[in-house]
Amino acid sequence: MLTHCIHLIVNETKYEVEVESKEFLSDVLRDKLHLTGTKESCGMGDCGACTVIMDGVTVTSCLILAVEADGKEIVTVEGIAPGNGELHSIQKKFSEFGAIQCGFCTPGMIMSAKALLDRNQTPSEAEIKDAIGGNLCRCTGYIKIIRAIAGAAEDLKQQERS
Amino acid sequence: MDDKTYSLIGTRVPKVDDEPKMTGSGIYVYDMKLPGMLFGKVLRSPHPHAEILKVDTSKALRVPGVRAVITAEDTPKKPFSFVQNLADKLPLCDKRVRYVGDEVAAVAAETKESAAEAAKKIHVEYKILPSLDDPLDAIKPGAVKIHEDRENIAFEVHKEFGNLEEAFKTADFVFEDTFTTSRQHHACLEPRGCVAQFDPFGKLTVWSPCQAPHTLKQELSRLLEMNQGDIRIVKPLVGGAFGRGLVADMIEPIAAILSKKTRRPVKIVKDRPEDFSTSRTRYPFIMKLKTAVTKEGRIIAKQAEVIADNGAYNDKGPAVINFAGVCYTTQYDVKNLKYDAYLVYTNKEYGTAFRGFGNPQLQFAFESQLDDIAYKLGIDPVKIRLINANRPGTQTVTGAMIHSCGMVECIEEACAAAKWNERDSSSKKEALKVKGVGMSVVFHTGAGSRYYGYNSSSAFIKVSDDGKVSLITPATDMGQGAETVMAQIAAETIGVNIEDVIVRTGDTDLTSYELGAFGSRTTFVCGNAVKATAEKAREEVLSLAGEMLGVTKEHLVTAKGRIGIKESPDILIDAVPFGEVIKYGITKKGRSIAVSGEYFDPIAPTVSLTEGYGIHIPAWVSACFIVEVEVDVDTGFVKVLNVWAANDSGTIINRNMAEGQVEGGIVQGIGYSLTENFVIDNGRVVTDSYVDYKIPGAKDIPDIQCIFVEKKDKEGPFGAKGLGEHPLVAVAPAVGNAIYNAIGVRMKDLPFTPDKILSALRSKRLFEDNKG
Repeated sequence: MLTHCIHLIVNETKYEVEVESKEFLSDVLRDKLHLTGTKESCGMGDCGACTVIMDGVTVTSCLILAVEADGKEIVTVEGIAPGNGELHSIQKKFSEFGAIQCGFCTPGMIMSAKALLDRNQTPSEAEIKDAIGGNLCRCTGYIKIIRAIAGAAEDLKQQERS
Repeated sequence: MDDKTYSLIGTRVPKVDDEPKMTGSGIYVYDMKLPGMLFGKVLRSPHPHAEILKVDTSKALRVPGVRAVITAEDTPKKPFSFVQNLADKLPLCDKRVRYVGDEVAAVAAETKESAAEAAKKIHVEYKILPSLDDPLDAIKPGAVKIHEDRENIAFEVHKEFGNLEEAFKTADFVFEDTFTTSRQHHACLEPRGCVAQFDPFGKLTVWSPCQAPHTLKQELSRLLEMNQGDIRIVKPLVGGAFGRGLVADMIEPIAAILSKKTRRPVKIVKDRPEDFSTSRTRYPFIMKLKTAVTKEGRIIAKQAEVIADNGAYNDKGPAVINFAGVCYTTQYDVKNLKYDAYLVYTNKEYGTAFRGFGNPQLQFAFESQLDDIAYKLGIDPVKIRLINANRPGTQTVTGAMIHSCGMVECIEEACAAAKWNERDSSSKKEALKVKGVGMSVVFHTGAGSRYYGYNSSSAFIKVSDDGKVSLITPATDMGQGAETVMAQIAAETIGVNIEDVIVRTGDTDLTSYELGAFGSRTTFVCGNAVKATAEKAREEVLSLAGEMLGVTKEHLVTAKGRIGIKESPDILIDAVPFGEVIKYGITKKGRSIAVSGEYFDPIAPTVSLTEGYGIHIPAWVSACFIVEVEVDVDTGFVKVLNVWAANDSGTIINRNMAEGQVEGGIVQGIGYSLTENFVIDNGRVVTDSYVDYKIPGAKDIPDIQCIFVEKKDKEGPFGAKGLGEHPLVAVAPAVGNAIYNAIGVRMKDLPFTPDKILSALRSKRLFEDNKG
């Protein structure tokens, strides 16, 4: 079995990990780094539950080979809150707007939302739907998720102003 | 109490379990790791129907890392079903397999990879048998028997009320139609999985994303021939349920047997195709309806004959065809009724509970036919529903007691919101994309069922010296928000902040026996038990506080975690925190506050399964949905643009969560109506991925306006009733009726895929050309 040593920065922490050629980023995050916030639902890139941000861009981590992630900087749902018990605006708004039911799609949704708001602070409803177009949710009907993301955009803008 | 303003009931207070879910710290079964944990893999039948001649596990046992391989020989071989006298399923098949996916053998190994490799190396010799995939073939005389010891009709329901013959004779019009529905898959984001662990003393713990932990405990005791007292079920966070978690999945006894054999914890998680192919589906129905009406639109008789495709095993099928009939015979004030339903075995993935429990199927048929009747009689679809609507304080011929009922108000409010009277009611619109509106009314349980002869719940509350309120309730949260509803009810009743309530649930060693989360019953049944318990706790706290403050408890009030004297000049400043009162009780009086309470439904134990069909439902909820669609007549593609959803679920406990149930139910209903086309070919599930089985995405959703007609129910906690299921039920018929309004074709087979729309349009044009 061929193994490789890869270097990753995940949520601002440096890791050196021994991985197999056939291993995926989602396996590394969940099984080796114990970051199980990143969910996996289909293993085929169809559902978006395993979405993380890699070098600023969302990827479905179940389709990224671990070796492809070598040298990359990754942000997962565990890494977006500022710390000290504070939550990220997106998290706060998801809770406030009732955007979470079973929660299994939530980490992926939040990562897609974060990538959107990092590049576009005033997204339209269509742009929000576009950004989470690859994230399936079976519980909420998406409406509250879309409103929560719009609310977070508003919140972040205000934070920037003040 | 009625007009009191509440601090928590009816608010949009955030869910109590949001934080672990949105920070990634929450643990689902899928995420679980235990020390020494092995991974299990099930070998499943590749054939829809076959005899097992020989199973050879020798090669599998030689795969490195394999710790156990089991077959039927390692199991008690005791057939199982949700209803035990209809038992027909072995956890591992012994002599026969009956669907593609049937469990044959299983492996436990150190890694997922070695488990998968070993499962492949189990050699099974089969003798292929002729298989049946159509229930209509299965009921033909001489059809192959799917279960050697019984007929292919697994279960029947026959109910009759009034005088059908007379009604059909005297009616102005009699309408007869046949409707069919499809399989729908729960498609929960968390694939079904479990972890099982035997301790050295023979006690089994199973972690399961289940909806009814105590029922699962009973089921596993039957499956494994164990004492119930030796089994503990733990339900961690659940990644979607919708009915999938109501009956044991065979991976649960399999993991338990593997764990017993290896003395290690064993985890089995299905992969996505396996989940689609084996985690069970909604039952497809074939429904023949015969309905008699007067020329004014009064329904005088309703008759339905249902053939339900059971798939290979019984599971929830008997209860589903029964419940569908209860709703069908209760909705609308009709005196003459007949319901005959047959549950038929086929060699396919079998069915189970799914949001709505048979009512979505039969309501799709009846509400579609009713619209047709309205058009043919020249009556507004709204009017025909108002004429026949159920009303509060009535009893139907089926024995249903309808206490609170806002059906009429739901119809009126949905119409007002959708501006129904301004709609274009013609169905002949000339354009490439044609809009149409349609409506449907639904009647559903809002408090579970008395079918089990038991519909009660209990709870336990302790108030601590730090002011925290610990609540133990069997209310099962699978994302719908049961824990939050229970916390709100407890906090509101006792007079503390919701942040001070700690909810503990999902562990059969901790919670009292309870039926589980289904039938939109949790808010009503568990909520009532929590409220009664919280009232007791408050009384005890007040009595202690009275002693401490030297006043009688009538002079005390509680709010926001403090207790004050009503007459006090500055109640806010003088009020004492709960914790201080509890400390006083413990240190000065030797008293702590720990109470239990219950909700008892006294009618449930008296209910007979054969009489008073409607009495099975303790409280009814109604809704009226109006849907606007746009049909592309070129491609046959239907888009739902708007939904106006008026619901009577009594008092709303949490507005965000109530809307979430309605919106989520609608979107799942849109999938059921339009895109969720579950295909089984030669017994094999073809649509075994999210690409092939298309559940709606964020771009497929309409604008939704939720309206709550809050008719308080006198039995519900704070006047509340259930809300979880009915929103899905109302969608498909309203979409079908809107399509009819748009393009003048009556769609009778779910889902309304573009090919069916185009074919219906072609037939209509052909018919009109011939006529012209």
